[in-house]
Amino acid sequence: MKKTGIIAAGALGALVMAGCGSSTSGGTVTASSKCSTSIGFEGPITGPASPVGDEQLHFAELALSMDNTANKTSIKLVQGDTQLNPAQATTVTQQFTSNSAIVGVVGPAGSQEVEAVGPLMARAGLAFMSGSATNSTLTTGKYPTFFRVVSNDGVQGPQDANYIIKNLHPKALMIVDDQEVYSTGLVSSMIPVFQAAGVKVDHESVSQTLKDFSSLVAKVTPATTVVVLPWQLAANAQQFGRDLAQQHKNAVIFGTDGLFSPGTFSISGSYVSSFGPDITAIPADASLVATATAKYGTFGTFGPPIFAATHVFDEAIASVCKAGKTPSRANVLAAVKATNEPTSILGQPISFGPHGDLVNGKFFLFKLNSGGKYQLIPS
Amino acid sequence: MRLFSQELVNGITMGALYALIALGFSMVYGVLKLLNFAHGDLYMVGAFVGYFVIQWFGGPLALSIPVPLLLVIMFVLAAVLVGGLGVAIERFAYRPLRNAPRIAPLITAIGISFFLENAALLLFGSQFRVYNTSDFISFSSGIQIGSVNIDSVQIMVLVLGLGLMVGLRLLVIRTKLGKQMRAVATDREAAEMLGINVNFTIAATFFLGSALAGVAGVMSGLLFNQVTNTIGFIAGLKAFTAAVVGGIGSLPGAMLGGLLLGIAESFITGYVSSTYTNLFVFGLLIVVMLVRPRGLLGRVQLQKV
Repeated sequence: MKKTGIIAAGALGALVMAGCGSSTSGGTVTASSKCSTSIGFEGPITGPASPVGDEQLHFAELALSMDNTANKTSIKLVQGDTQLNPAQATTVTQQFTSNSAIVGVVGPAGSQEVEAVGPLMARAGLAFMSGSATNSTLTTGKYPTFFRVVSNDGVQGPQDANYIIKNLHPKALMIVDDQEVYSTGLVSSMIPVFQAAGVKVDHESVSQTLKDFSSLVAKVTPATTVVVLPWQLAANAQQFGRDLAQQHKNAVIFGTDGLFSPGTFSISGSYVSSFGPDITAIPADASLVATATAKYGTFGTFGPPIFAATHVFDEAIASVCKAGKTPSRANVLAAVKATNEPTSILGQPISFGPHGDLVNGKFFLFKLNSGGKYQLIPS
Repeated sequence: MRLFSQELVNGITMGALYALIALGFSMVYGVLKLLNFAHGDLYMVGAFVGYFVIQWFGGPLALSIPVPLLLVIMFVLAAVLVGGLGVAIERFAYRPLRNAPRIAPLITAIGISFFLENAALLLFGSQFRVYNTSDFISFSSGIQIGSVNIDSVQIMVLVLGLGLMVGLRLLVIRTKLGKQMRAVATDREAAEMLGINVNFTIAATFFLGSALAGVAGVMSGLLFNQVTNTIGFIAGLKAFTAAVVGGIGSLPGAMLGGLLLGIAESFITGYVSSTYTNLFVFGLLIVVMLVRPRGLLGRVQLQKV
């Protein structure tokens, strides 16, 4: 990674010396300094999911800053706060689609938001790429301009369910959705696996706005040894864990994606499966981790995929400019579809299937030790 | 039986919280006939006051004062500050509209709600603030009755909540201020003619109602740990529901409505499914409204023509 960066920097220097407009080197495309356009960012910058949105915004800004320098582009980021709310995401998307300067959108964060904005984005021919929306139904072809840099629930749900069956051996478990598309999708893909294995399943459902789980926890019987929480809000899971402890229940929490939040969810003995890797453990990302940590402090798994998604857009725009064209929604969409990055900060290549899914995506499993620290374990 | 008892305890705890907020709703409606939709946000401010008191005294892991003293300061400060905020809101936002058409203060109340929510966002940010109650009050410091666990925070919420409700009831029935409040609620103009200081009485009502919301906010922080600028909306909605079920304007009704709502939520979650909690709870509201349109303890008011 460092070597590529040095080569790219060298190539950039040579190009400047030669007064040339554009060139390519390794995986990075350099473009004319007149390559100027905007991309949108949709995320929950405020509201209960703001820890997720803040992290995503920081990594989008970081990627844009680094890519603008490397590619000699002038891409601007237009922020849109969705609050993880489909209605709010729709309003933001209407603003973005009517802004002709925006040629692509990073986000939104939630599957329910993608469901809401997908038709608007398609009608506007605007490519949009999520770093965290994993519901399987989003990539059936109904949203032709949608992409994601993370795996889908069709992979995660069964994989997690099988892990629970083989390693935690529950006879009975409780699975609680949070009434959002993301959560209900995962639950739907897990329950058949549990039932096929003969595990007794108590399926519950609570709103994301609920803060008191004591009534639900009272239903956790001594035979219920695992509680599966495919939730987006780590703070809610933390409260659920506290309610378990308060009622002296020993069930293990198995959470997904949103629960990867070291500052918020720290119930020891819990498991968290995540679409994103812990990039602090990827040696090639050491420099980026240091930069991000210095600028924004500690981070979880939501930021890096957004960095990767922003980078895909940046490279797509740079390649359009390099071809001597002005970036437009159509040519950026075509360039995004043709993405073929041999490596990324996520530790895996990035290319997209016919309906926008990440090719060969994978999930990562973490266990929280007694100090609440997240440790990657084989899944 | 274990599940029944545990859900009963959970329900009463939650109900006490709803009841405290509902009382403020009902008091304000009683004297001004105003649905104060900013009331839930006063609860949110109270929760923030409690959080900052904990931080002021060193944070949950390094408290510089004994826990009982900390709790007293949290509750008193939240009550005084939020009560004062309620009085200020009444003075500057509602009093100028006292004789305006009813829709005007109603819209103002919604505006105040958004103002408080966004002011909190601006001042405190969008991040969750966490009380971390278990770091300074142990779960094991409660009591166990059979297989039912009642931790010390739940006990405190129950005792304080019920105590405040009884205290408020006594204040309204037995004190001069209570008589003035009842007089203003019955007929404001007649009360004024009898020499009652209406402005003071309404301000006192706002102070008491808001102070209860502030106390409920601290209780919520201790129980559920999380504080953000958005927690007031749902709490306010539930408290409004409780006030309507009990009979809006009736203080015993607000208490009954709050407790019923909390217990209903708890038992539906425990015995039916959490999936259908709101369906059943609001179905119950509809049934109560159909059978008793003025709520369980609401009174039919004669319309003078």
